Amino acid sequence: MIRKKVIGLLAAAVLVVVGSVAYLAQAQDAKAPAPARPMTLQIEGSTTVGPIADEFTEAFKKLHPDITITVKKTGSGDGAAALIDGRCQIATMSRFMKPDEFKKAVDKGVLPVAHAIALDAVCVIVHPSNPVANLSVQQVQDIYTGKITNWKELGGADAPIVVISRDTSSGTYESFSHIVMGKEKMAQTVEYVNSNPQAHSRVATTTGAIGYVGLGFVDDKVKALTVNGVIPNKKTITAGQYPISRPLFLFTNGYPELGSNVHAFCSFYLTEKGQEIIEAKGFIPMTSY
Amino acid sequence: MTKVDDNQATAEFPRPLLLTPAQDWAGWLVRKASRTALLAITATSILAVGLILVFIVREAWPFIRDRGLGDALGSTQWYPQAAGGREQFGMLALVFGSLYVTAGAMVLAVPMGILAAVVLSDIAPFSVRQAVKPVIELLAAIPSVAYGFFAVLVLAPLLQDRLGLTTGTNALNASVMLAIMAIPTIVSVAEDSLWAVGRELREASYACGATRAETLVKVVIPAAHNGIFAAVILGMMRAIGETMLVWMASGNACRIPSPWWNLTQSVRTMTATIAGEMGETPKGSVHYSALFVVGLMLLVVSMGANLVTEVLLLRARRSSGGRA
Amino acid sequence: MSIAVRQWLNRLFTIAALLSVVFIVAALVGILLPMVWRGGGAVVFRGTVEFRKMQLEQFGRGDTKAVRAEWEQAARLRQRAWDILDRFAAGLDTSDLQIKVRRIHRDLGDQLANRDLPRQELAHLRALSRQFRDDLLAALESGDKAQALARLQSVLDHADDPLLADTLAAGYFEVARRYEKTLVTVDLSRRAEYAQGIGEIRAILQNLLGPRPGERLPAIVMEQYGATRWDHAAQHLNRLLWAERWAPAGPGQPLRRVQVPREQQFAGTELAELFPFVRDNIREMLRPRWTVYWHYFTDDSTPGHYFGGVGPEILGTLLVTVLAIAFALPIGVITAGYLVECAADTLPTRMLRMAVNTLAGVPSIVFGLFGLAFFVIYLLPKLGLPEGSSIVAGALTLGLLVLPVVIRASEEAIRAVPQAYREAALSLGASRFRCFITVTLPAALPGVLTGLILSMSRAAGETAPILFTAAVAMGPIPSSLAQPTRTLAYSSYDMAVGDKMAAMAPHNQFGMVATLIAIVLLLNAAAIVLRGRISKRLRGQ
Repeated sequence: MIRKKVIGLLAAAVLVVVGSVAYLAQAQDAKAPAPARPMTLQIEGSTTVGPIADEFTEAFKKLHPDITITVKKTGSGDGAAALIDGRCQIATMSRFMKPDEFKKAVDKGVLPVAHAIALDAVCVIVHPSNPVANLSVQQVQDIYTGKITNWKELGGADAPIVVISRDTSSGTYESFSHIVMGKEKMAQTVEYVNSNPQAHSRVATTTGAIGYVGLGFVDDKVKALTVNGVIPNKKTITAGQYPISRPLFLFTNGYPELGSNVHAFCSFYLTEKGQEIIEAKGFIPMTSY
Repeated sequence: MTKVDDNQATAEFPRPLLLTPAQDWAGWLVRKASRTALLAITATSILAVGLILVFIVREAWPFIRDRGLGDALGSTQWYPQAAGGREQFGMLALVFGSLYVTAGAMVLAVPMGILAAVVLSDIAPFSVRQAVKPVIELLAAIPSVAYGFFAVLVLAPLLQDRLGLTTGTNALNASVMLAIMAIPTIVSVAEDSLWAVGRELREASYACGATRAETLVKVVIPAAHNGIFAAVILGMMRAIGETMLVWMASGNACRIPSPWWNLTQSVRTMTATIAGEMGETPKGSVHYSALFVVGLMLLVVSMGANLVTEVLLLRARRSSGGRA
Repeated sequence: MSIAVRQWLNRLFTIAALLSVVFIVAALVGILLPMVWRGGGAVVFRGTVEFRKMQLEQFGRGDTKAVRAEWEQAARLRQRAWDILDRFAAGLDTSDLQIKVRRIHRDLGDQLANRDLPRQELAHLRALSRQFRDDLLAALESGDKAQALARLQSVLDHADDPLLADTLAAGYFEVARRYEKTLVTVDLSRRAEYAQGIGEIRAILQNLLGPRPGERLPAIVMEQYGATRWDHAAQHLNRLLWAERWAPAGPGQPLRRVQVPREQQFAGTELAELFPFVRDNIREMLRPRWTVYWHYFTDDSTPGHYFGGVGPEILGTLLVTVLAIAFALPIGVITAGYLVECAADTLPTRMLRMAVNTLAGVPSIVFGLFGLAFFVIYLLPKLGLPEGSSIVAGALTLGLLVLPVVIRASEEAIRAVPQAYREAALSLGASRFRCFITVTLPAALPGVLTGLILSMSRAAGETAPILFTAAVAMGPIPSSLAQPTRTLAYSSYDMAVGDKMAAMAPHNQFGMVATLIAIVLLLNAAAIVLRGRISKRLRGQ
């Protein structure tokens, strides 16, 4: 009886393996005729630009229903690597390609072309109960280098400052560190979180916390500080008054052929609907319809 | 007495009992082939480990070749993206962080896990065991992302508000959650091996007048030491290799807590460093190689932990009289 | 030691052991119950008429007539609320007029371009349109009544221009005339006082009731509907009725949270009647009803997982997990069998054991990278599959991840089979192989199933290995195993680190996690039942 069960289990396992092999074989047959125009668009890259790509994909599917689009969001570096290896047609990146990546691309015959589709601002946030409302760039730097450790030194309550930063390879961190930190290194007591929502929730639940997030994440659970007296909003960012901002990119291999799907996707941000989507996601569009 | 020659046919058996390879070459081939096939399949694990090691070393080599390991192992300054060529790759704090939270998790998980395994195998009735064991295994079913949410959304504010700590995402948070994650593995495998010890040993001990506690502590657990070590190793490996949870719950401050026994400060583990920074790093850069050096060190640390446990196991086996 | 002390130690031991179990079960309940409870809220909840409308329009489900009838009834009350807001906000909050002016400029430009006019005339008309737009925007934003009126007049001076007849420029003049009328009655100095409040209230009403009928639909699906769930609606209502302000509590003190009823804030104005009106009629406006959204498990979802279900994710998780187990189980059991039956306690065997332990200690992210470098980039293209993520690559990577667990647990189980069984089988004339298959393995089956259960749970819940190899954030349902797929583990990770969707749709996040747990439970339950039956049989019952 047990023997029958064992045989049954083995048979089931064999069936699964055989079934998958058959599935794969069928997939290979289905791929035999090569389509005239690529019907699959693969997009990989940043987790910041990813949500925009998601919404663009949805809008795109309504316009061109016969195209399949896949979106992966693992990081800007991964997106660049995938573009260089030819595993994707569009790489979403929240930073510009680094010199190493460019070199590797050119060595492999890939010529990366950047399309700046939106602007993102880095807002310094604190808990809403924090009486501090404005900081200068120098003060923020001092907090992050560990020179200022208690809120009372800035006019707030007597509480130690819990400093929260994004992880060192994210584009948000790069913009922040490039503009605010300059050549200074962050203190060793700085806590690192892995994403914008994490930074938001840490600051929202910790009364002594200070952190920085993208513009779309400022809501009523956190308080955005004015930096050097400038409040981060669309006007000040497009005018360049708000000091900490960065563009978001789509990278392609060479300029996409006019009329191809890649071209349509990469210029979607220039349309009115594209602008609405970008604004709805909390970023600053490049166009102003 | 007639001499029985196995290689001679007799009246009862038309063929000799023991066939040489020459006489039954098909059978010999089948045996040899199946043993080789078995070996090959078994070697998959070694092959996999070998491939992974090769992969990691190959990606880590540029860093080791260009910068050497001295600075990496000697300093705690981890600033891989510092501007102007002043990057620093001090991994000491990362190694300490990993060992710290793992040790904390094991201190919590091993006693509780073994005690729970004991309850399931000896103290609770069979029906309760059948019911509770799947429930404990259910803890293993919760994805680590969910544990991460719990740690950040529930445990961290709890530590901040109730215990008055400055920050809720710290080594304590990570240790407690890692312990909860490691416990199902420990309990399951330890319980199976306690169960396998059998009734005779237990009955013999009771017959000598030992209480249940003494039977368990002095007889059954030592008898099952193999399985319990296996359980502890599996649990420890789970804790060392866990990525998502420590990324969210430990605070990721790259430093050694001062004083070192202060669990309420933020630490960073090696796995969180790799996971957090791998996605956005340009492939092939120094930072990328440095992350693989961290991975290599992680492997070395876990292999070291394994070795220590194997040595302890050998000693325990020798002292308990060699019952394997 | 005296007997009394030993008995006390015995009791202490039992208590400590029981406390451990209690703590473990408490941890389980404390972590699992809220998750499952909130996840259940994704399936069983009070859905509003917005939810039914969304189901009808996005998924084609539901009775069109009934939904439309409900909608008409609710719309009448809603219109009143919007009217109250409009009446008050006219002149104070001109954002919708500004949007309208910009749209007129764009549409007029398109219309003129389609008319095929000579270049100079086209340029002149375009410049005029731009001038009108800038003047109107300046007028709408200005806080000085005289200046605004002057700008409006400069636009209306062109009202009789023959070139602009039967073009969309008539819209400009309509806006100018309407605003002129409003300016006469309204007091612009109140704008600074009320502008922010009106903006907040308008946003909350849109969250509650959706976009106004007749207005253009927003671009993203999430904003095209109001509150689809009653619990969300209750939260929005709360924010509508109570404004949260942080008031200073003294020098060097953190701010205090103060809840100010908005009715008080707008007391004496026409807007004050909006709040009691909405509060009293919200049920009529939204018509909540208990809904059981069974299709949550089969529906596809909108971007960001705001609406819809987790159907493709469930399929992806099942495919990847079952395939991973199919790879890991045979290899694991055979390896364990070899380790116990054939291998002596020599150095190669110890190395094999160390290799297995090392494999157990490799972090999941390194597995993911290895899977990417080896399976996706190197191995599968060699076998002829297209390069890129695929379910097969993810399953192979996950299989490697759970292999040590299977091997260890199986090894312990096989080792625990009493030697007597083997000796009995051998004495009956079975070969070693036959003995293994027919006697040892079935006797070790409960332990092997333990390993299977643990590894299945692990494989289903892991994110990092499939991050690079099999999972996509958005993509079609896979039609073959060589394509990537969405999975529950990856999608919940994606929601957590993506945009603000997770904060706005927590029920969906918990729903995904609860579904994952439910799937693993179901897979486990089958194995556990089997294990129980086999255990009983082995114990001779």
